[in-house]
Parts: sequence; C-alpha cells; structure tokens
Amino acid sequence: MAEVESISHSGICVHDLKEAEDFYCKVLGATLHSRVNFKTQDALRGRSIHTTLALDDYVFAIMLTEDWMEVPDQAQLRGANRTRHSFCVPKTRFPEILQLLEAHNVAFEGPVTHPAQGPFGESVYFRDPTGNFLEVLWRRDEDVTYNTVQPLGHGGAG
Amino acid sequence: MTPAAVAIEPAVCGGISHLAIQVTDAGRAVDFYGAVLGAGDTTIADWPEPAETALALPSGQVLAFGTADSEGTGEDSGAHQAYRCSGTARAGILDRLNAEGITIHSYHEDRPAEADDPCYFSDPFGNRVQLVWGPWQADGIAGIDHAGVQASDIEWEEEFFIGRLGFPVDHRVGWNTADYVRARAWAEGKEDMAPGTRRLDQRYRDIPGAEPGSSRAVARPNMQIFLRLGEGVLGIFLATRHRQEPAPEAARGTPRTGIEVDRAALDGWAEKLSAAGAAIEGPVRHGKGAPYAASLYFRDPCGNFFEFCAPAEAGT
Repeated sequence: MAEVESISHSGICVHDLKEAEDFYCKVLGATLHSRVNFKTQDALRGRSIHTTLALDDYVFAIMLTEDWMEVPDQAQLRGANRTRHSFCVPKTRFPEILQLLEAHNVAFEGPVTHPAQGPFGESVYFRDPTGNFLEVLWRRDEDVTYNTVQPLGHGGAG
Repeated sequence: MTPAAVAIEPAVCGGISHLAIQVTDAGRAVDFYGAVLGAGDTTIADWPEPAETALALPSGQVLAFGTADSEGTGEDSGAHQAYRCSGTARAGILDRLNAEGITIHSYHEDRPAEADDPCYFSDPFGNRVQLVWGPWQADGIAGIDHAGVQASDIEWEEEFFIGRLGFPVDHRVGWNTADYVRARAWAEGKEDMAPGTRRLDQRYRDIPGAEPGSSRAVARPNMQIFLRLGEGVLGIFLATRHRQEPAPEAARGTPRTGIEVDRAALDGWAEKLSAAGAAIEGPVRHGKGAPYAASLYFRDPCGNFFEFCAPAEAGT
C-alpha cells in the first residue's frame, strides 16, 4: 500500500499570470478560486504570487516565477519540461476539446491513439502560453471505478 | 466581492473633471498651484463643496483644495496627481520650483506612456505631483493628465472598476515575470523608481541554506492597475502599509477624483454602484453657477472617494 493517497493539488509555473488565468479558464474551463499577493497583508508577509484554480475536483495553482525559466522551442508541442499535466475527459467529449483548442488558436499535436491494451485511448498535446506541456486524453477504462472521489476538503477521513 | 455574473457594458465618461486634494492651508495652495505651477488665479465662487476652494484650470478641469489637519497623500505611497503642460511651461515651472527650494525628482514609473523624461516633486502639503508635457498650450499647468490612488486590495478594485463599472484597462503591473526581474534591478540600485512602484517584501524565513538574515528581503514590483477614464487615466497602487479608511457609510469626502458623465446617465450609475455594494450619495443637484448640474458621490471598495458629475449647461 502506498504511503500517500493521491495527488492533492499541483503548481504550474508561469511567466504571465493574467495570460495564464485567461488560458486555463477560457480554454480549459477552470474556475478561479483565489489570488494571492493582491492585498496589503499579503505584501507585508512576502507571500508568493499565485492564483488558485479548480478544474472540477482538481485544484492547482498557477505560480508566477520571479525568474525566467528555460522554455523549449515553441514549435515543440509534445514533451515534458520538468512536468507535463494531463487532464482527462470522457471519450464522448474528446472531440469538443479539439474544437476548443482550434477555436482559441491553440496549436496541438494529435489526436494520438494509444495501444489498444493500455488504459489510455487518445491524447492531444499542446502548451499553455508560458510553454508548459499539457495533454488531454480519454481513457478506455472510464467506466471502471477504482477509488471513489472524495469531496474537496475531506481531509482523508472519507 | 463576488465576480459579476454577466459581462458589463463598457463605461462611457468624459474624463477626469476635477481632483480634490488635501491641504493644510487652502490660501497657500491657491498661491502655489496658481503662481508657482502657473495655473492662474481663477477660483470658482459656486463650487458645490463649501469646505473646498476650487481653482479653474485652463483645460476647463478643476483642482479643489480641501483643508485638513494632516498633510496629503504621503511621499511613500503611489498616490499622486499628474498635470499636463507644454515644454516651455515646464521650464518656467521648474525655474520657479528651484527658486522655492523644492526638490525635483526624475524617478520612473512602470506605465509605458510615462517612461520618457519623468518629473516629480511634492507640493507644500506632501502631495506628490508629476508633470507630463506635450502639445498643451498654457503658461503653466494646462490640466489634469492622470491621478494615482492607493488601495489595500487590487483584486477588489479590479472587480469593482472593471467587472462592475466597465472601465477599460490601460496597463497592469505585477502580473508577469518581467516586472519581477526589473524589480531586482531597482533593489541593486540600477533603476530609480517612484514611490509606490517597488517594495522589499520580508519572507517568513531565509531560503534554506542561506546565511541567517541574508535572504529574507525580496524585491518586488508593487501591484498596480491603470484604468482609462476617457482621455484621462486612474492609477491604483497597492498600499504597502495599512491605513485608516473612512467609515463604510461615508460616500463623500476629500481627497476625491471627479469623473465627467452625462446627466442622463447618473441614475444608471447609481444603480450600478448600489448593485456593486458601494456607498453612494446622490445624485445631488447643484445650484445656479456651479460648474456641475448634479453629482453622484461614491467610494471604491478600499475607501477612495470618487464623484460622477454632469457638467452644467451653458447659462444655468
């Protein structure tokens, strides 16, 4: 048995917070939860600059970096620069994602079909405005319940 | 503040109509702005605020002085007032400031439109003044270019002015990495920046492995947002220290930024402001001779006073 349960949240480092907010909210449909460093009390405490977003039950922060990060050539659409975040949609909604990316002029690679015996069906690869690698896929095992998703904030007691 | 549920129509306004600033001696303020800055000596007898002395500027805008025991906006904040003048007028103003023994600064701000040849000083009451020059014809300051206020919550201000009132964004500072890289240049003494544009944050603790006490301070841009008010601009700077705000129900006071709007639009503005939860007073009809037919007074979520005012028609 693993010592930890699951991913709680993650952070994605970006070079432009406003641009990143617009991308994750308008293209991927994230909702804004909160922002840090827009208040005097945050400034007085030297807090990091970030915005917390939610995609359904997944919470993540887009973190403004105070230094320039190395970013692979923009022509590369598929890869991992430190990390790659991969988001899941039902198979029936996968075509909508492709339409969304096209509608927002987001360059992508795919759909790429995965081996039939594996859990992944198809993936599309693209990048956020900073250049972080992203992926959206549908799973062949989407009807299988491995572990019931607990409500946010359950604290592991469920 | 909960984000507005629907897209708001873009705000329509005629720009900054007047500024009311805080001074300790209105007579001395008229002398300073009238003679030293060359605004002239035309005061407005029927100014709607009886406690303020109003000076007419060549542009038709008004600079009003409200008397208070304490001094103005403070030299450590981003709050300031910027006035337009010609290059020739500026030379004369600088000569007179030098004769008065007033220090002139050439530090910079982040907004690209203000990058060239900056000029700042403080009036005798601690209000920070900026001169912006261009093709404006007057012997001294011709009119108001922009104003800066400070706020304890930039997110609230964004939601209020952009999300609820519909004012367009001119420029944002503090949202991207380039701003932070530039802030380090300021901390290293490579760039002279205006008060309120930079700050040294204190982290809870040092970076792991660093010499104790050596890495707690971090240079950062101070969050700012600039809004377009017609041909004028309002800059909102994050306050770097807590300050006493007016009582929540207070909607009318000094310092204050006046924004010109149509008379027919005042009731609509009152509805928008009320829906946003803002304290308002008015619309208040003004008497014969006043430069405005009516005003709607309000304060933003961080306690800054504003006024929507409709110009009086000629002959009224």
